[in-house]
Amino acid sequence: MPPDDDELSRSGDPGEHPGLARVAWALLRIGAVAFGGLGATLALLNRDLVERRGWLLATDVTEALAYTKPLPGSTVVQVVTFLGWRLGRWPGAIVATIMFLIPAFAIMTTAAAAVFALPDAPVVRSALVGLQVAVIGILGAALWRLARSEAGSVPLIVVLTAAFATGLFVNAALVVGVAGLIGVVIDRVKRHA
Amino acid sequence: MLELFVRFLVIGALAFGGGEAALPVVERLTVADTGWLTSAQFATGIGLSFATPGPVLILAAFIGYHVTGVPGALTATAAVFAVPVVVAGFAAQVVDKFKEAGWFRAFGRYAAAAAIGLLGVTLIALARPIVDIHPMLLLGAAAVFAAEMRGLHPIMLIVTATLIGAVSSIAGITL
Repeated sequence: MPPDDDELSRSGDPGEHPGLARVAWALLRIGAVAFGGLGATLALLNRDLVERRGWLLATDVTEALAYTKPLPGSTVVQVVTFLGWRLGRWPGAIVATIMFLIPAFAIMTTAAAAVFALPDAPVVRSALVGLQVAVIGILGAALWRLARSEAGSVPLIVVLTAAFATGLFVNAALVVGVAGLIGVVIDRVKRHA
Repeated sequence: MLELFVRFLVIGALAFGGGEAALPVVERLTVADTGWLTSAQFATGIGLSFATPGPVLILAAFIGYHVTGVPGALTATAAVFAVPVVVAGFAAQVVDKFKEAGWFRAFGRYAAAAAIGLLGVTLIALARPIVDIHPMLLLGAAAVFAAEMRGLHPIMLIVTATLIGAVSSIAGITL
């Protein structure tokens, strides 16, 4: 291991690794109660892995968030992967991630089986309409919150609005990719200015 | 099955801004392009993904299950998290070098902003079948929005709205 000079890597010392079995059990338990999105899950991870078990430092959790946020993918899962890596390198990362996802996968697959097996009765239809109405409201709230936290400058707001307008006609994947490239160009120009 | 895997692999690789921001790409690649799900089924899946623990993108299991049962659920889930997990692992490994990759952070910031804008498009796609049933239902969505912003838990809101839907049907209000 190359020598590290800051305290970031302290918790990554092999001597402190809790062992894969204990990591697996801890993350399975967290995965089963990780309701409420990123914020709530970060709090859970902090309470369990930092405060209760003392395997990691609070800075590990904030760093995991800072470094995985700009990456593509579910940030909740990536924070778990990142922390798993610190707890046991690649095996730790893989085990932590899989164990964290098992409860969600099992519950979702069961729910899917149940929903698709429901009879096409009026009660069921109306209940699902109620659910969909709630989803629109919740997603609207998520959109509002994300826009406020992630689009804090004029160019970002312009990109957000333009993406909405073009997204009505153009493939979503393409819009995301092009926006990223525009960001790289703006970054370049700013740096050379 | 291969198509399912590839489509969810792409979704994972493009999910800048996190799981919720990825929903437009999920909608495009699995609903609009393939017709694997109707908009209403897609909305139901999102509702369940908010109500279950773990990431929103566990929605992959819901869609995969609908396409080819449990193997499909497993395939889609593995695919959607494959790229993000590998890059997160590498990020942990090379954290100090990564800090300097400014161009990559810029890419991520702008891609995320676009993804959030696209969420508006998804919202319209999800609202359309609801409006077709009755435009007044949007008032319900607005109420949920307000309640969520005031800190009410999404699970509570989903359960309540589902129950209201069921009860209104029993009460004789046909939608």
